[in-house]
Amino acid sequence: MVQTKKLKDGSRQVVLNGRQYDAITKVLSELAVKTKASAILFADMSGQLISQRGKTDDMNTTVLSALAASDFAATSEMAKLVGEEAKFKLLFHEGEKRNVYLSNVGDEFFLVVVFDVSVTLGLIRIYTKKAIEDLNKSLEEESEKSDVGDMLDSDFSTLLGDALDDSFK
Amino acid sequence: MFINWALQEINLKIVYYGPGMSGKTTNLEYIHSKLDPSLKGDLVSLKTKEDRTIFFDFMQIEVGRIKGKKPKFNLYTVPGQVYYASSRKVILNGVDGIVFVADSQPHRMEANIETLLDLEKNLKVDGQELENFPWVIQYNKRDLPGSESIDELNKRLNFFDVPYFEGVAVRGDGVFNTLKSVINLVVQKVQAQL
Repeated sequence: MVQTKKLKDGSRQVVLNGRQYDAITKVLSELAVKTKASAILFADMSGQLISQRGKTDDMNTTVLSALAASDFAATSEMAKLVGEEAKFKLLFHEGEKRNVYLSNVGDEFFLVVVFDVSVTLGLIRIYTKKAIEDLNKSLEEESEKSDVGDMLDSDFSTLLGDALDDSFK
Repeated sequence: MFINWALQEINLKIVYYGPGMSGKTTNLEYIHSKLDPSLKGDLVSLKTKEDRTIFFDFMQIEVGRIKGKKPKFNLYTVPGQVYYASSRKVILNGVDGIVFVADSQPHRMEANIETLLDLEKNLKVDGQELENFPWVIQYNKRDLPGSESIDELNKRLNFFDVPYFEGVAVRGDGVFNTLKSVINLVVQKVQAQL
């Protein structure tokens, strides 16, 4: 399982270990090969980009993830308004050159597939469905405990403070 | 907070909250204008024709590597107008720290209070309590004549005694101090709970 911890103040801490990250990236790579998609992103519902594959160099994928998360959020409000009790599971944006296919992966994550209009939607659908099953599996796999304390020790906050001062000059 | 061990990345989500026209977007615009290009991404604003934020503004900033780790900060604003209540709620998903940008003008006091109560309500939906949450206040527009005294603002808005800053966001006064303070608070809270 991806380590998701609820802290005392109610905020959420999600920790992804190396093995999970590799497994996720492998699923994305396979999906990219099979669908010839231009870009594939895996992100969480707060808009946090986790992994990406494909030709993403000229694409601002950080912003794309934030916008895609809000896309999900907006449509789930829409779902409520039109009397749909569950959330909409997938969103599709059709363009002249490119299409975007978004699908949730469990409640917390989602997948964005950007592809040329020459690729059929059916193909994207089939392979994305398979990829989502694989992603769910790797997210559920037992994970070794990662110690966040190692990452954020008191040294770290002092150094972070200095780095912020430097950047904010 | 999202931690990726493989990439040694620590991602924090900071949300600027406050009533309409209090200067949330201005805070982000100032930060964006001053940071070294290597440390910042694009500032994306979803605005209406009237220049009001309709959904959110978003920008990611970095400070380089610290002890091999790469902290990244995702800054969001929410739309202040009352009728965008549902977008405010969704932007709070996964939030780690909040900057409440209050308008110092006396006639905006009610709007400040109303938005703060709205924030408290939205946090509660996710099981979070304003009392224990890492957040700071920025009293913005201190340069305007007749602005409310800090004592009065604190009395009406700062009931949990959180750090507060005086700001003139258009000039950048208080902008970086506010951001630095909320980031420190988030990191401290995480450490305290380890």
